[in-house]
Amino acid sequence: MKVSNLKKSDCTICSIEGEINLNTSPDLRKAFEEFSRQNIKKIIIDFEQVPYIDSSGLATLIELFQRMKKIDGKLRICSVPEKVKNVFEVTKLHKLFEIYDDQESALEGF
Amino acid sequence: MEEKEVIISLRNVSKYFQGKKIIDNISLDIYRSETFVIMGCSGSGKSTLLRLMTGVIEPDEGSVIIKGKNITGISVEELDDVRRSFGMLFQYSALLDSLTVEENVSLPLREHTKLAEDIIRIIVKMKLSLVGLRGYESYYPSQISGGMRKRVGLARAIALDPAIVFYDEPTSGLDPVVGGVIDKLIKDLSSKLLITSVVVTHDMQSVFNIADRVAMVHKGQVVIVGDVATIKNTKNPYVQQFINGKPHGPIDFFKEDIGIKEFLEL
Ligand SMILES: Nc1ncnc2c1ncn2[C@@H]1O[C@H](COP(=O)(O)OP(=O)(O)OP(=O)(O)O)[C@@H](O)[C@H]1O
Ligand SMILES: [Mg+2]
Repeated sequence: MKVSNLKKSDCTICSIEGEINLNTSPDLRKAFEEFSRQNIKKIIIDFEQVPYIDSSGLATLIELFQRMKKIDGKLRICSVPEKVKNVFEVTKLHKLFEIYDDQESALEGF
Repeated sequence: MEEKEVIISLRNVSKYFQGKKIIDNISLDIYRSETFVIMGCSGSGKSTLLRLMTGVIEPDEGSVIIKGKNITGISVEELDDVRRSFGMLFQYSALLDSLTVEENVSLPLREHTKLAEDIIRIIVKMKLSLVGLRGYESYYPSQISGGMRKRVGLARAIALDPAIVFYDEPTSGLDPVVGGVIDKLIKDLSSKLLITSVVVTHDMQSVFNIADRVAMVHKGQVVIVGDVATIKNTKNPYVQQFINGKPHGPIDFFKEDIGIKEFLEL
């Protein structure tokens, strides 16, 4: 799994590439912790290149969500492949996260 | 349509207890991501079949093949490896009474992963929420109802995102509404997360709600395997008697029993 960040004005777009599982989610967590350290308040996470996410990955995402809420930050998610979307739906997390079809729509009004 | 992938295969499996043939030459294929239901009367061998599939007990004859690997006679370490991808909800699976609900569900995560405590806590909350038990984290098993304990067991069974989940009577002792919630969860896990489910149940409502295919076991043999429509429409008298809950038919409840005279030693 690889994480790459792109700054767009005051917003950071975080693109993840690869499976998020027991082995890789700790690295994702580190990448997310870096956001807090830099006090980044607007984050879009792009899931286009994520074929699979397990519960540890979802938990890592929830932890970020909680952290963002605490600092009045904003978190959006975009380009979620069908299989991953199913995981969000089964766990009802699609109701928690703001999910957009693509980066452009996620950036709109952000 | 894609070629169906066999994920569990029983080949001519037999098992004896105290000289009695409890499982009698069963051959069966279960496909990836289907919900496969095993039904049958009490004592027909359903739980035994599940224990054979999960490697808890070994067959006396035949073999059990999981994802192409014959697990009969392999080492404990190898078996542990295969079972890492299993979730198991046993008929009488007990929670640890000295641990809270949260601690019970986190056990497999603590044992098999190196995840941070905070992450484990969130996963446990997610799993408890899936079985409708959000807010019960700090309760002890003795403080919740039997149906709730069962749901905690289910949350624990799916803690590690298993590829195959084995359920022994998941809805017994639950009220119909909660039973329906559990049925939907089992169904969703299969259809949306492509998890394979093997479910033992008496609950006909549940069978028709969740099954892709059904096998009926009678006296250690499989009398029929088919989809729900096949089971509903079959003229097989065992199946008809079972699904309609008729006291009379080829399944003779008393035949095996000794007479009342002998019983009372008259
Ligand atoms: N470890 C064992 N030792 C001896 N006999 C056993 C053992 N396990 C199961 N049996 C016997 O095998 C038969 C089938 O038992 P099993 O538990 O598989 O039935 P079941 O179909 O799950 O019944 P139920 O619906 O009541 O749970 C029973 O007659 C039981 O007494
Ligand atoms: Mg049983």
